[in-house]
Amino acid sequence: MATDLTEKLKILADGAKYDVSCSSSGSSRANNGGIGNAASSGICHSWTSDGRCVSLLKILMTNRCIYDCAYCVNRSSNDTQRVALTPQEVAELTIGFYRRNYIEGLFLSTGVVRSPDYTMELLIQAVRTLRSEYRFNGYIHLKLVPGADPLLVQQAGLWADRVSVNLELPTRESLLLLAPDKSRDAVVGPMRQVSSLIVSNRAERKQSRKAPRFAPAGQSTQLIVGATPDTDRQIVTLSEQLYQRLELKRVYYSAFIPTVADSRLPARPETPLRREHRLYQADWLLRYYGFSAHELLDEASPNLDSELDPKTGWALRHLELFPVEINGASYEELLRVPGIGVRSAQRIIQTRRQGHLGIDDLTRLGIVMKRARYFITARGQYVGESGLESSSLRSRLVDAPKQRCPVQLSLDLEQPVVDETASLITGEL
Amino acid sequence: MSCCYSYDGTLAGLLTLYARLLPERVAVERISAVLLDQQSLFSSEICIVTELTVAEAFWQRLNSRLSDNSLKLLRRCLLADHPEQELLIYRYLLLEAEQGQRIDGMLAHPVVASAWKLTQQVGREAHRYLGFVRFQQLQGGIYYATITPDHRILLLIGSHFAQRFSDQQWIIHDQRHGEGIVYDCSSKEWLLLPMNQESQPEITPQEEQFQQLWRNYFQTLAVPERKNLKLQQGKVPLKVRACLTEFGGTI
Ligand code: SF4
Repeated sequence: MATDLTEKLKILADGAKYDVSCSSSGSSRANNGGIGNAASSGICHSWTSDGRCVSLLKILMTNRCIYDCAYCVNRSSNDTQRVALTPQEVAELTIGFYRRNYIEGLFLSTGVVRSPDYTMELLIQAVRTLRSEYRFNGYIHLKLVPGADPLLVQQAGLWADRVSVNLELPTRESLLLLAPDKSRDAVVGPMRQVSSLIVSNRAERKQSRKAPRFAPAGQSTQLIVGATPDTDRQIVTLSEQLYQRLELKRVYYSAFIPTVADSRLPARPETPLRREHRLYQADWLLRYYGFSAHELLDEASPNLDSELDPKTGWALRHLELFPVEINGASYEELLRVPGIGVRSAQRIIQTRRQGHLGIDDLTRLGIVMKRARYFITARGQYVGESGLESSSLRSRLVDAPKQRCPVQLSLDLEQPVVDETASLITGEL
Repeated sequence: MSCCYSYDGTLAGLLTLYARLLPERVAVERISAVLLDQQSLFSSEICIVTELTVAEAFWQRLNSRLSDNSLKLLRRCLLADHPEQELLIYRYLLLEAEQGQRIDGMLAHPVVASAWKLTQQVGREAHRYLGFVRFQQLQGGIYYATITPDHRILLLIGSHFAQRFSDQQWIIHDQRHGEGIVYDCSSKEWLLLPMNQESQPEITPQEEQFQQLWRNYFQTLAVPERKNLKLQQGKVPLKVRACLTEFGGTI
């Protein structure tokens, strides 16, 4: 039985690994007499050889699928071995891994068998087994099957911490081209439903703390980048809408890596990971730095500059706003200075109450002077090697080519403000 | 006059030292921990003798005087394993005595900045170890984990594990500092105890199986096209891998 399970786990993990979301944060579930709890700041347990964090046991219930989405390894026309786990097996694996502190919880996705409803019920059964039989209070992220009955969607959210439907492709046309079996409405429908259920649940819980929680860690989604000709502008604008209108917690971006050949798919693009990295930076600017999509991208330049981080790019287009005086600028203005992140902006505000800051103080506060020096003054002093009007400014700010490889930014950055232990460097722009 | 001081290496000893030196605002160049049996009559250091009552009274004074921020900093610096942590803390407390709670805003002051840096190193390592602990189920049912952290972070992670694994018996053993936490699931209490490497513990057959499953799973996860070993090494430094099942580590 053991070798059989090993084999199945391998296949089902392999089928799930292209889903990049792995965050385990945003929920705090107490352990009431069973095993486990959900930590609100998210915990990474290991990192694989591609540098991605392992936080959840991320598997498919089954890799059988009746659909045939062009970009997917599990598509029905792909000749590959098909296996399935039972809900009981999923629960046992999760508990076994959890007790050894390998994982924060479970991320359960699946191919579609028989019908969306049938599949959704299988997933729910696995999660119900974990929660009620094993009294598991750890983190659970459950995929919603596009097209599943709204009642099942609602149940799913009551058992899970986070639910998600992958939008996968930014435009209706792209979806039609590559995933003809899934209509945009079948994908967006459940997202809308979840969003309104979260809102009404919040109201219910204000009335009574006893009301059961619905998806306390919210919902997320994923977009595949580079499989279709959609521009960064289309993608970032879509993300902005998802954050604002549907209150999504996270949008993940996954650089397209061809796993199956298909004439509808492009050849492997040149720098897929760099583009993904820039999109995460832009996403970050939307969520924590007060930028809006149209400030970062417009019709004239619909794609992010691969050589500059998007904040520096924005600053270079708005030199008239700089330099700003560190001792006088507002928090919002500080956030827009290249080289000053959320945390260093907070520190500047906190520290300057005790007296004006000089240039030398800034490095100690964690400001990246390499970039910031051109855009600030401290007590009127300016220390850029060249002025803002200099034609060499851009080349001085371009990311050095031998920089650290693009990183999937999602994890460490999950809680930049409250988690004192989160990485300082990665998210600061 | 010499300005090097020593104490017996215990927390009470260090607090006694602070209690004696701080009110006089003594200028100190070095503070070293010298175990009792190594103290010598002829050393140039001034040895401060531990007095429990002095230490306790001083600790209480600190607790009522310091801001939450400073207290947290103090606790973490005390748990650090850093050649100059005693001196760093002393300088911080000196400055605090002068500035009071204003010190919380003085992040750019060199004394505060270096104490903060150490605080964050300890905090960050503690947070990382919430993920890096690997339990193995031993014959008899106890879950046992070894770690080798830079700092003495056990006290910072104990309550997390006590809440999470409240229904299993477990031990986390810091082999580097020779101490460990023992959790008892019937009384729901945990204790920090001195602990030495004992003989190789025996694991259950089921344990073997789960380790195998986990290693396999971990291997499968990586996407070859995205391989980035440097990034991985930044996140999982080689020194912690010896205790991680997925990197081949066992007890
Ligand atoms: S429905 Fe999901 S599993 Fe099935 S082919 Fe499409 S993306 Fe793959």
